Amino acid sequence: MATQLLRALGPLRLLQRSPGPAADVPLRAASHGTSLLYPEHIPTSPLQKALLAVGSAGMALYNPYRHDMVAVLGETTGHRALKVLRDQMKKDPEGAKILQERPRISLSTLDLGQLQSLPEGSLGREYLRFLDVNRVSPDTRAPTRFVDDEELAYVIQRYREVHDMLHTLLGMPTNMLGEIVVKWFEAVQTGLPMCILGALLGPIRLSAQNLQVLVSELIPWAVQNGRRAPCVLNLYYEQRWEQPLTSLREELGITDPPTPH
Amino acid sequence: MAAPRSFALWGYCDRGWSRLMPGCRLPGFRSCWPGCPLGARLLSQQKRATETHFGFETVSEEEKGGKVYQVFESVAKKYDVMNDMMSLGIHRIWKDLLLWKMRPFPGTQLLDVAGGTGDIAFRFLNYVQAQYRGKQKRQVRAQQNLSWEEIAQKYQNEEDSLGGSHVMVCDINKEMLKIGKQKASAQGYKAGLAWVLGDAEELPFDEDKFDVYTIAFGIRNVTHIDRALQEAHRVLKPGGRFLCLEFSQVNNPLVSSFQVIPVLGEVIAGDWKSYQYLVESIRQFPPQEEFKEMIEDAGFQKVTYESLTSGIVAIHSGFKL
Repeated sequence: MATQLLRALGPLRLLQRSPGPAADVPLRAASHGTSLLYPEHIPTSPLQKALLAVGSAGMALYNPYRHDMVAVLGETTGHRALKVLRDQMKKDPEGAKILQERPRISLSTLDLGQLQSLPEGSLGREYLRFLDVNRVSPDTRAPTRFVDDEELAYVIQRYREVHDMLHTLLGMPTNMLGEIVVKWFEAVQTGLPMCILGALLGPIRLSAQNLQVLVSELIPWAVQNGRRAPCVLNLYYEQRWEQPLTSLREELGITDPPTPH
Repeated sequence: MAAPRSFALWGYCDRGWSRLMPGCRLPGFRSCWPGCPLGARLLSQQKRATETHFGFETVSEEEKGGKVYQVFESVAKKYDVMNDMMSLGIHRIWKDLLLWKMRPFPGTQLLDVAGGTGDIAFRFLNYVQAQYRGKQKRQVRAQQNLSWEEIAQKYQNEEDSLGGSHVMVCDINKEMLKIGKQKASAQGYKAGLAWVLGDAEELPFDEDKFDVYTIAFGIRNVTHIDRALQEAHRVLKPGGRFLCLEFSQVNNPLVSSFQVIPVLGEVIAGDWKSYQYLVESIRQFPPQEEFKEMIEDAGFQKVTYESLTSGIVAIHSGFKL
C-alpha cells in the first residue's frame, strides 16, 4: 500500500494545482537589502499584500482548484490570528515543544513502513489510510512565502500540514463537502480569516441537497467540536502515531461525525 | 533553417568552440585562425567569467541565458493573458504601431526575433494581405484589367494573397514557439510563416537575407545586446530595416506597476518570481538615447526612436545602408 501511495505521489492533487514558480529564479537577498527571513520568503509591501489578498480570494472563488490561492489568502490575511495561535502554542507544553523542534510532515520525514506496521485504529494507520483512499500526499502543500515573521511562517506551515490530520480526526473525505466541514472546524479553532472566508463562501458551490445536509447537521457538529476541543496545533502528532484514534478523539472531545460519508 | 553556407571561422576559446563573427569580442585576442592551438594560450589568459544582471540580481553571463529560458518556459502558456493584464491591452496598439511604422509591402521578407507567440508575425501577414486586397480593389476601380494569370489564379483559388511575403519567427524558447504554432493553426495562418528555434546572438541564417528585422519586447532578455545587434546587421539585406519595440525608462508610473505586476503574476499564473524578473529587467534596460548609440555602434545608420504612451515603450529604427 505504501507503494500505491508513493506511486500516486499527489498526481491528482498536482493536476489540480496550477504550475509552480520557475525552477531556480534566484532569490534577491543581497540586492533587496532586506535579508530573507526563510528560504522561500518573498518580501512584500502592504499594498502588495492587500492586492494579493483580494486577488487570491477572487481567484480561489472563481477556480476552486487553485489551492495555492487559498494558501496565499491565508498568508496575507492571517497575521493577527497567527500571532494569537503562536502565543497559545507557547503556553501549552506540547505546543511549545513543537515550536522549538519544528517538525515537518512530508513524505521524506514520515516513516511509511513504520506507520503501515502500526495496529488498525491507531492514528498513524488511519492517517495512512486516509492518504491512500483519497489519493493525496502531504508533499503538495505550497511553502509559505508572504509571511514576514519567521516563527509565524512556521505556524502557518504547521497548520497546513496538520490539515490532513484534521481530516483523519474528523473522518471527513477530501470532497467539497468534507473540506467545508473541516474549514468550519478550523475557523472556530484558529480564527484565521482565510478559514472563516472559506467556511462562509465555500458552500456557494454546493448542490442544494448537500447544502441542506451541511447546514442542518454538519456545521453544528463541526462548530460544537471546534469549540470544545483544545487547539489542535498543540498536538505533537509525530509522537502520537501509536495512539488509537478513538482515544485521541475522546481526549479532544470530538464526537463521531453525524452521517457516514 | 539552413546553416550559413559561407565559410565560418571557428575559434576555440575558454567556453568551447564558437563561431567567430566579424568584430566579435572574445576575451583575450582580436583575430583567430582555425586550427591554431589556442587552447593553452587562452587558458592562461582566461579572464574571470564576466558578470551581468538578471533583474536586480547579479549572475554570471553563462547563467543568465539559462535563467531567462526558465522564466519564459514557465510563463509561456499565460504569456498573452499576462500581457493584456500588465498593459491593459495597450500592448496590442503598440504592436500595431510597430507594423504601421514598418509599412511592409507584398514581397517583404521579415525576420521576427524573440517573436515566440507570433503577435508581430500575424500582424505582418494581416497587413500584407490587406495591402494586396487594397491593390486589387484599386485596380478594379481604375478599370485596369487584371492580367490573365491573376484571373486564372483567382478561379483556381491559388492566388498568392501574400505576394511573396514571408515571415520567419525565431525564438530561443521551445515553449514560446509551441504556443505560437498553436495560435497560428487556431487562427488559420498557414502560408508565408516559418518557425525557427534560434539564439538572437547567433542567428542560424545567411547574411543579407531579410528586408526587415524586428524584435519586440525581446532584446532586454538577451545576455549580450551588442551581439544581437551585430547579428541583426549581418542578416539584413543592404537597405534593410531594423526595428525594436521595447520598454523604456519612465520615471513614476512604473513604480506602482512594479508592485502590481508580480501580484498579477501570482494570482493569474501562480508565478511570482518570473514576473518579478520581468519588471526588474525593464528597469535594467538602457534608456532611449543610450540604446540608440548601441544600435549605431552595430553599424546601423539613420537611427531614430519614438516613445509611445509617454515613454513606457519606445520603437527604435535603423537602416543597414
